Amino acid sequence: MNGIPLELGLVLSAVLFVLGLIGVMVRRNLIMILMSLEVMLNATGLAFIVAGSRWGQADGQIMFLLILTLAAAEVGVGLGLALQIFHRFQTLDADSVNEMQG
Amino acid sequence: MNSNQFIALAPILIIAGAAVVTMLIIAIRRNFVLINCVSACGILLSLLAVGLIWQANPVQATSLIRVDGYALFYTALLLLTGLSVIGLCYDYFKARTGENEELFVLLLTALLGAVVLVSSSHFASFFIGLETLSISLFVLISYTINRQNSLEAAIKYLILSGVSSAFLLFGMALIYAQSGVLDFNGIGRYLMNQKDMNALVLSGVILIIAGVGFKLSLAPFHLWTPDVYEGAPSPITAFIATASKGAVFALLLRYFISAYNYSYLPFLTVLSVIAVLSILIGNLLALLQNNVKRLLAYSSIGHMGYVLVAFIAGGRIAPALVVESVTFYLVTYFITTIGAFGIISVLSTPQIEADDLSFYRGLFWRQPWLATIFTLMLISLAGIPLTAGFIGKFYIFASGADARLWGLLLTVIVGSGLGLYYYLRVVVVMSMNVEATAIEPVEPVQKRMSTTILAVLTLLLLWFGLYPGHLIESILLISNSLK
Repeated sequence: MNGIPLELGLVLSAVLFVLGLIGVMVRRNLIMILMSLEVMLNATGLAFIVAGSRWGQADGQIMFLLILTLAAAEVGVGLGLALQIFHRFQTLDADSVNEMQG
Repeated sequence: MNSNQFIALAPILIIAGAAVVTMLIIAIRRNFVLINCVSACGILLSLLAVGLIWQANPVQATSLIRVDGYALFYTALLLLTGLSVIGLCYDYFKARTGENEELFVLLLTALLGAVVLVSSSHFASFFIGLETLSISLFVLISYTINRQNSLEAAIKYLILSGVSSAFLLFGMALIYAQSGVLDFNGIGRYLMNQKDMNALVLSGVILIIAGVGFKLSLAPFHLWTPDVYEGAPSPITAFIATASKGAVFALLLRYFISAYNYSYLPFLTVLSVIAVLSILIGNLLALLQNNVKRLLAYSSIGHMGYVLVAFIAGGRIAPALVVESVTFYLVTYFITTIGAFGIISVLSTPQIEADDLSFYRGLFWRQPWLATIFTLMLISLAGIPLTAGFIGKFYIFASGADARLWGLLLTVIVGSGLGLYYYLRVVVVMSMNVEATAIEPVEPVQKRMSTTILAVLTLLLLWFGLYPGHLIESILLISNSLK
């Protein structure tokens, strides 16, 4: 493919991936954690599309569709759990949910 | 797709169909016993299909799925696991209020994911199988939503599992960017023609190892394990500890062998470090636990480290021997782990989960049979002769010694020594005097289904320990089918 070289695309997706990872580790609000997770998953999707365009194949885009499906399913369950947690603890703070130790 | 491929896919299709049928029946009529029977029948049908195609030649059904002897053996193992977990769930959830029928739908979808995982020969089916399994598990873990720890365990597992999936996918993307193929054999061909080490592929495989290491709860990625084991309902814990880990391990082995990853020595170094850490951390932290579920969680981290030793040996010895030792060890690990968590789930009541060590004080006097079975399971986990666990550990030693991995074997010996201590500690607590018990003896409830399953598991444990020949023969049949 001509235009954007492979390395640039991969570097961009790696940067997005790391930003998402930092978000998951630093944020304490469950909704924000789930959003950062989305960023990570979409960064991998971008990497797949970049790789697919290098080889001129549709496989990368198909993988991206699969990743979107996963992200939707995961967030569906995650938000359901967040709802229940809010009912129980009256907060979405990840630290106050953390009771098991050792 | 021709008819041959459809026949080869029959076990997978039947499980998928059973999940749909179960869901529809729930919509028409909610009946716990009925749903339980239907899902068990689905699994039995699928087992029957596995039996019918057992002798057939390997079939590559599209580039995604390869149904060979290896896949069928693990499919059968997973289906039997699912069957026993459904049996345990029956007794565990029967007395509980609430709508417990969907549990079986989720178990079937989790099983579907695991079965796809062991037969996949492509990154896409690897990923889809893994996520079908994981997303079903999130809901299963939080199923007893009124228990304090279930929600916490589920959300922890969900977030960490999401992160690990992202690692896994990024690794796949890097390998794809470099090689242009997504199926294992294609990657194998690419790596075989590659003279030097490639940075992208190297980091890709390391990321995949990190993602898979999370699912297997190997040492630097093990933090979720004790919390999830404690928070999930006991039969589900048994499922996570066996089916989920076993399927991922079977896939990892297939990937390493067919994608020719053993030729990259840095991977084996990384894996060796992970194995040593898992064995030491798992066994050392297990010493500190007073909760039986957490104790088993840490011990399972150690056990995954042991299997990894046999796995690493594949760098130096023939793949067939690695398949043989890993499979034997996993079979024994499945039997003992389901047995141990089965005991916990039999002793649990809707009010109290029998996971505190003080609960087991004097169990030999209150329920001698259960205590005996639990003792057998624990000494098999510790690897004492006459049980299947001993033969499994023997296999680890044999393959490790063949590959001259003396450092790793030393760690296994240290780990086993520590293991002996904390397993026997539980046995000692169970044989303590009954007068010292602080807890009122619980009204014994008839749990015929679970007791039958436990009895069968015990018989298998002794059979494979005393006459391992039968199992070894059938494993030998499959160990050459991987390519």
